[in-house]
Amino acid sequence: MKRRGRGLASMWYPVGFTVAANPSGAVVKVNEDGTAVVLTGTVETGQGALGVLSQIAAEALGIAPNDIHIVSGDTDTCPMDTGAIASRTTYITGNAIAAAAAMARDTLFEVAAGMLGVKASQLEAKDHKIQVKGFPARNVPIADVALRAHIVNGTPPIGSATWNPPTVPLDPETGQGKPFGTYVYATQIAEVDVDDETGEVEVLRVTASHDCGTAINPMLVEGQIEGGVFMGLGFAVQEEILFDKQGKQINCNLTNYIMPTTLDMPAVECDIVDSYDETGPFGAKAVGEPSLVPTAAAICNAIYDAVGVRIMSLPATAEKVLAGIKAKRAAEQKQIPA
Amino acid sequence: MAQDLMDRELDVLDKERVAPVETLRRSDEALRLPAVAPPTALPLEPPLVPQVGEQTRAVGLRAQRPDSRNHGLGLTRYIDDIALPGMLFAKIKRAGIASARIKRIDTSRAEAMPGVCAVLVGSEIPVNSFGPSLQDQPLLAHPIVRHAGDGVAAVAAVTEQIAQAAIDAITVEYEPLPGVYDALEALKPESYKVHGGDTNVYASKVIKRGDVEAGFAQAYRIYEGRYYTPGIEHAPMEPFTSIADWDANGRLTIHASIGRITLARCDLARTLAIPISRIRVIGTVVGGNFGGKNEIRHEPVLALLAKKAGRPVKGRFNRVEEFVASTIRHAFHMDYKTGVTKDGRLIARQVRMVLDGGAYCSFSETTLGKACILSTGPYEIPNSLAEGYVVYTNKTTAGSMRGFGAPQVCFAYESQMDEIARDLGIDPVEIRLRNMFREGSMSSTGQVLHSVKVKESLENAVKKFGWEVQS
Repeated sequence: MKRRGRGLASMWYPVGFTVAANPSGAVVKVNEDGTAVVLTGTVETGQGALGVLSQIAAEALGIAPNDIHIVSGDTDTCPMDTGAIASRTTYITGNAIAAAAAMARDTLFEVAAGMLGVKASQLEAKDHKIQVKGFPARNVPIADVALRAHIVNGTPPIGSATWNPPTVPLDPETGQGKPFGTYVYATQIAEVDVDDETGEVEVLRVTASHDCGTAINPMLVEGQIEGGVFMGLGFAVQEEILFDKQGKQINCNLTNYIMPTTLDMPAVECDIVDSYDETGPFGAKAVGEPSLVPTAAAICNAIYDAVGVRIMSLPATAEKVLAGIKAKRAAEQKQIPA
Repeated sequence: MAQDLMDRELDVLDKERVAPVETLRRSDEALRLPAVAPPTALPLEPPLVPQVGEQTRAVGLRAQRPDSRNHGLGLTRYIDDIALPGMLFAKIKRAGIASARIKRIDTSRAEAMPGVCAVLVGSEIPVNSFGPSLQDQPLLAHPIVRHAGDGVAAVAAVTEQIAQAAIDAITVEYEPLPGVYDALEALKPESYKVHGGDTNVYASKVIKRGDVEAGFAQAYRIYEGRYYTPGIEHAPMEPFTSIADWDANGRLTIHASIGRITLARCDLARTLAIPISRIRVIGTVVGGNFGGKNEIRHEPVLALLAKKAGRPVKGRFNRVEEFVASTIRHAFHMDYKTGVTKDGRLIARQVRMVLDGGAYCSFSETTLGKACILSTGPYEIPNSLAEGYVVYTNKTTAGSMRGFGAPQVCFAYESQMDEIARDLGIDPVEIRLRNMFREGSMSSTGQVLHSVKVKESLENAVKKFGWEVQS
């Protein structure tokens, strides 16, 4: 019969490399019509990084995300970037782009200051305008300012910046130090059905609450969480590379390396924790890797809750769970009532 | 007569066509072109002209991704959609034996095959080693094979099929060597040493805070458990694929599905012994990464084949190579010992972990470091000691994979947390709330933490899930 259980797991995860420098550079060029081009050395690996980075640049310039075009992934044209690794793109490349955009914006402010008869420090960029803080009616369209910067003032608004998280090396003896710029946190709760006759585990739903600082694009955060739960599910109950005694992989193809399909996917309920990290771009941190970290533990704790079997080695295959159920029954039968 | 023949030929062609005949246009038949789908204009939106005053929310917006329309319409160009004029196809011969010395490689039959343009073995590579921290991995094994997925020879040919046939025609004579296939075995002094020397341990880490023994002495109860997580595969939909292309000035362009183009450029410069300024790496849209595409894999081999053949060369892994010749997640053996007070506070935790690094280092040092730092979990534990080792074995190289050791240690520390909660009769939510990091807490490395939201994540999840906490 099917037995239902629930289990939870929390985690922490750092953003960026462990102590080692992992800088990002960025160049932001505002065009004559107030749109902009961003150069970054990172690469889109499917997670939507270029969308998030467009949103960061747009926010800094007071224009819309689709006013931005990103050039990426070319060592000839793009500034150095450590790349799409260590959940670092939003936080580190994002900080570099935000700083480069602010530098280009400062040029726009200098030009607009003359047009509006105020100091550059009194200005802000918003809604495709450069406007006086507190007096939004006193404004000039950003396109007019950008064109003027190019063809009248001769100061094309171009910004460039680099960013690297501040760290303190770890003491080799004790490991004490400040290895990362910041961390993210999460909790996931899994609900499972375990068939106590076959040992089969069905994960019904996973509630995933993640702190990622400001969610630059909540839709993409949810996408990462759902993908992470998928990977965590495989790690928990299905995936394992098997080796023969001579070190050769046995199940090295998709026909016999079993991993989840859409049919295995549980319902995923995403929650994004209200959070702001002052060291990140507009308060953002990360979500890429962390989304899969607690899933397996939550599922295994739910298995224990359902059938009282503690999984000590992954994956929790039906065979392993059933062996646990049988061992538990045998142990119970051996006990002589007092 | 000639017209009749042509008509008959067209009839035959028509029958062989996959597309229904009615989708063909008359002009196609006259020109004997292959069937094409009727043309459809791209459903492009009218150009967006920025409007002054139009509200420009950007951060926090559920904005459409810049690549979503291309993905949706099937217009995204992945690396395998790219073909350069005259491009050849490469294949790499895999050792298929996990520990051996190459005595002889005979490539003569392959070289003589029609359509084969270049053959390469390890001894021809200028600097035949790479790796992000230790440069211990050969591009093509020479002379020692350290795992079954090691490449031993490569071929570039006019088609992938010919390249494969040429690879099959290469014969390699091996002298089998002893091997070690288990991480715990590899720790033993008498074990076979994968890279020679006197130990298979190639990185270790200690993270120490407070006095763990004093903590255990004060503990109400102590829990111990050994946890294991296996090696797993990234399994991206798009296997490793790259193209190497030289110009007449000796400048190399690499198109690659890779997440770190600047690191790739450095590795290419080092292995090929050419200046960085002569290399351009173009990172294509990556069709699945998950940490598996963080370093070069076969790019210098493709570059050398392309140089020999004088033509661009594309190499793509098949699915089996993706498993056996790329990296995998580290298998972890973890011993957890945790001392708690009667009310469920963690006061001491000792963790000892051994990572199976496989044949080469790759990103093992980083994985080990993160795993040790994170092994306490998101909890304030005044006394903690984490010790970790990563060892060579004659198995598939373990490298970076989404989570870098965190999913492994999280499985252990959260499984044990559940066990502690049940044993002490405290709700799993409540015991975590009693121990969790708060704003300003100190981590296992003594770092003062800011923007700590673990408690909020727990409370939100509990509420959303509908978990009623028993107090």
